[in-house]
Amino acid sequence: MIKINRSRCIYCGACVGVCPVLALTLKETYVEYDKEKCINCGNCAKACPMKAIDFEK
Amino acid sequence: MKTDYDVIVVGAGPGGSFAAKAAAKGGASVLLIDRRKELGAPVRCGEGLGSHWLEELGLKISPKAISAEISGSVLYSPNLKREVKIQNQETKGYVIDRKVFDKDLAIDAGREGAEVIVKTEVYDVMKEGGKVCGVKAYRMGDKFEATCKVLIAADGGESTVARHAGINSTASLYDTDFGVEYEMVNVECEDLIEIYFSRSAAPRGYVWVFPKGKDVANVGVGIGGLEKGNAIEYLDKFIKSHERFKTAQTVAVKGGLIPVGEPLKDLVADGLMIVGTAAHQVDPIHGGGMALAMEAGGMAGEVAAKCIQEGNVGKQHLIEYDRKWRKKVEPKLMRRLRLRKVLEKLDDDDFNSIFENLSDVDLDSLIKGDYKQVVKKVLVKRPQLLKVLSALL
Ligand SMILES: Cc1cc2nc3c(=O)[nH]c(=O)nc-3n(C[C@H](O)[C@H](O)[C@H](O)COP(=O)(O)OP(=O)(O)OC[C@H]3O[C@@H](n4cnc5c(N)ncnc54)[C@H](O)[C@@H]3O)c2cc1C
Repeated sequence: MIKINRSRCIYCGACVGVCPVLALTLKETYVEYDKEKCINCGNCAKACPMKAIDFEK
Repeated sequence: MKTDYDVIVVGAGPGGSFAAKAAAKGGASVLLIDRRKELGAPVRCGEGLGSHWLEELGLKISPKAISAEISGSVLYSPNLKREVKIQNQETKGYVIDRKVFDKDLAIDAGREGAEVIVKTEVYDVMKEGGKVCGVKAYRMGDKFEATCKVLIAADGGESTVARHAGINSTASLYDTDFGVEYEMVNVECEDLIEIYFSRSAAPRGYVWVFPKGKDVANVGVGIGGLEKGNAIEYLDKFIKSHERFKTAQTVAVKGGLIPVGEPLKDLVADGLMIVGTAAHQVDPIHGGGMALAMEAGGMAGEVAAKCIQEGNVGKQHLIEYDRKWRKKVEPKLMRRLRLRKVLEKLDDDDFNSIFENLSDVDLDSLIKGDYKQVVKKVLVKRPQLLKVLSALL
């Protein structure tokens, strides 16, 4: 499970690029998260240059 | 609106707009699509561009797109005791304004005859008998589908188009740097691009100050994806620990991912071409990718138009783009990747020693890919690096 802090995100799309299952979609000014697709790898939280994603196993 | 084109390009960044323009010039009907409502924004770039590219790419930059002219670069050792200035044809250039620059390139593509639509997000790729043949998108909130003979994926770091088409272009944490920068005022700068090497300040990356004026600069950090923490923590620490930024004010935050490993193994599939950051075509040393994206985009657009004219858009024909690119560009990138792999193994003491013992000319040769003499010189002072540095010989 991840939680994206939308008011911290600068919608750069880095998280989208590292998500191996396309569970994240950049919607121009925010990132949409598909919980069903997510495999809990945590890549997005690690990648986020803004530290805007919280990851809980 | 028309819904069938020879070529559809997804992404109106530098790579996509160059591809669209080249394809239109080659006689193809072209649709250029971007998700953004305003091309170029939000910026995810340090905005540095070498001026030698203008001639190589046949590129004109409008005065409005230029923030500052740059006479060269200066590299700092981790202990800041030594700085090396490199001012030559290779390091001369500009810090541009991507918000103006990207839009200008899309305008060029439009003038060449490409149709351009913005605020349109491609969410899937259509296929027929294994061949890519179109896109599914949301256009200003409405569903929109269009078909094409060749789809060019120029969608930058997200690289979702290639993945929807079945090519694995996911960025791995190991082979990717993640960067963030503040555009700041009250930062005194010369007309030099500043690069700070330091494992502690920017592990597997570097810190940069790219001037956008006499007292305005992009100040940023890129770090390797597997390193501890996130880029913003390193950036805030760097700024806090330097007196120079004491009165600096942030007027913008920009960031993104930078592939710094190998380019994709496949740049084409049936009916599909991939260019720019989406194809991981980025310089593995400095992370610059604008020019490489434009270069690849130009090649892809030209080949796409030609293949369409000849009536065959299968992989075995589109591969001409892949071959051209691997012949002209890849060898240089792979040489620089080799250097990167070595630099990654050095710690700050190694860097300090190397900076101390090398002349400006030596460092210039290093950057140009001429390693042999320099490595010999380093080994005299630091023989313990023999194993690491032998990879360069
Ligand atoms: C922090 C940072 C600093 C950098 N500094 C420099 C530098 O100083 N100099 C340099 O040369 N390079 C730099 N780079 C790299 C450079 O920004 C990229 O290499 C360059 O932008 C690549 O161009 P492109 O056309 O491939 O992709 P992009 O410029 O990323 O363009 C992709 C376009 O595709 C659109 N798009 C994406 N997905 C979709 C979709 N599904 N549907 C519709 N549209 C879509 C996007 O909106 C975007 O407009 C930096 C990168 C970062 C992150």
